[in-house]
Amino acid sequence: MTITLDHIVPTPLRGKLAARPSTVWNKHVLLTPGQWVKVTAPSGTGKTTLMHLLWQLRTDYQGQLLYDGTNAGAFKPPALAQLRQTQLSVVFQDLRLFGQLTARENIELKRVMHTPAYCTPADVDRMAEALGIAHILQQKASICSYGERQRIAIVRALMQPFNWLLMDEPFSHLDQANIARAASLIAQECQRRGAGMLLADLEDDTHFAYHQHLQL
Amino acid sequence: MLQKPMHSLLKKIINSGIGPGRFAMATVGMGVAVLLILLAVQLYANFTQLLHGKNNSNNVADFLVINKTVTGEMQGQKEKSTFTPADIADLKAQPFTEGIGVLSSTNFSVSVQSYSDALPFYSDAYFESVPDEFIDGNTANWSWKPGQRDLPVIIPAFFLDLYNTGMAMTQDNLPQLSMEAIMAIPIKITVKGKGQTAEFVGHVAAQTDRLNSILIPQSFMDWANEQYGYRKSQLPTRVVVKTKDPSSPALVQYLAQKGWKTNAEKTRFSKIRGVVNVVVSALGGFGLLMLLFGLLVFSLFIQLTIAACKPDITLLQTLGTAPSQLHSFLMRRFMPTNLALLGVALVVLAGLQVAAARLLQAKQILLSPWLSWQTLVAAALVMLAIWWVNSSTVSKHLAMAQPQ
Repeated sequence: MTITLDHIVPTPLRGKLAARPSTVWNKHVLLTPGQWVKVTAPSGTGKTTLMHLLWQLRTDYQGQLLYDGTNAGAFKPPALAQLRQTQLSVVFQDLRLFGQLTARENIELKRVMHTPAYCTPADVDRMAEALGIAHILQQKASICSYGERQRIAIVRALMQPFNWLLMDEPFSHLDQANIARAASLIAQECQRRGAGMLLADLEDDTHFAYHQHLQL
Repeated sequence: MLQKPMHSLLKKIINSGIGPGRFAMATVGMGVAVLLILLAVQLYANFTQLLHGKNNSNNVADFLVINKTVTGEMQGQKEKSTFTPADIADLKAQPFTEGIGVLSSTNFSVSVQSYSDALPFYSDAYFESVPDEFIDGNTANWSWKPGQRDLPVIIPAFFLDLYNTGMAMTQDNLPQLSMEAIMAIPIKITVKGKGQTAEFVGHVAAQTDRLNSILIPQSFMDWANEQYGYRKSQLPTRVVVKTKDPSSPALVQYLAQKGWKTNAEKTRFSKIRGVVNVVVSALGGFGLLMLLFGLLVFSLFIQLTIAACKPDITLLQTLGTAPSQLHSFLMRRFMPTNLALLGVALVVLAGLQVAAARLLQAKQILLSPWLSWQTLVAAALVMLAIWWVNSSTVSKHLAMAQPQ
């Protein structure tokens, strides 16, 4: 799936754009299938806004966002749900887990949401093992540490089929060793699907072999 | 539709914590409403069955002879008691009318007389006729052709009863007569008019309960009126109406409004039916009102459940849960209760029906021990209404819990 950002300006950023150059806002950006894209964005430049916009959580922008040439605004809730189950996956900056569910249930939710399921229960164990959270799978998400929750959210995002994986500061609370393991798992899963990724963070990094760098 | 693992996860997430006590009370209220509605339908079906069922009365049409009431003001104005073509057309157009026959009467002088001295009688008389389809009894030899001297006559059944139980008992010289005996007695019928006289040999062909009149074949009536009639034509004073439902309140009301009269015996049921109609309507109306409240309460429960879990439902939709998945989850949560209460209402009603059938059987009244099809249709309609209200409430409030 090709994602096109056609001269998008989020309403909250209007007027602020003149102050600093951006390669995304008010530009024509083409994200072609399979591309790994890094978006570097200092605080307040609309990093989370971009993520929410790509996920269609907000529609307060000028310009056009196109999924395979179709205006994202034209997607009705059922079509959007289909998109979020099969084409797009996400790791939110604020993770958005269900605190009342265990870590495993949070992951399961995304695994069984779409039928037939893309991953098996064994995949869950394998990925949890790889990220070092196998021992907390039965714990309620609300009592896990932020770093643990971050890894739960990553595994959850890898449960479904997708064309694009969107990540908003996915490693902010992980140490270098854990980052390396998470990045390796993500890269592996993206390659398995032939999928593209878009990672937004405050600073440059070398976690992945990015094809494209964007600056907010 | 919604797979089991997803369902059990949703069950953990969407848990409003609304007390089961209140939910149970709402369910009971709804159950009573459904029971009342179905009871009203079943009662109505039962009553209809008792009234029209072949076990309790003849299923064939009834015949009502209708005439205008003669009042003081009408005296001396005979034409006021005749039916105009407009009257007949109007009567014909009524929903309860299946057929209408005009009673034509003789328009000339008639006298009847016995041939035998054993049973001497002489009387002036008049005959009436109706189209053959309104004749009951044995109509095998019910015909007359010009040139035929023999004339069949139908007499009302009460004539014979009156004679046998009254006349014959009090007059020593009069024998009691069976129907067969009456049929064997020839009667001299003399017809006079337009200066001519003719004589016919009448015989009783049948007796009738239907029409209180002495009837001759329509063909004779038409011929004789032409031949001997004083006036060209005469408007009818009586009409016979064929109807499936002689106690129909609409019929009785129509006659009352027109000031027309008919056999009161046959329409007597209409008062009871009026009462039953009021009771059944009141019961049904009350049930319907309760159902509306029940539906309102249930839709409020749905609204409350969604509102109480709104952040969770919004997050579920954010993560990609389809509205249809949430919809079927919520429907599965509320519909089984509704289905169960409908089932319980039907079982209770079925029990009542069996009990009622047994009770009436002891009184020699046959009532079906099964629920009527109307009741089952009503139950299906109620179910459909509940489903529709629940479904649209769920859809509406899910849309309100969309992320953004």
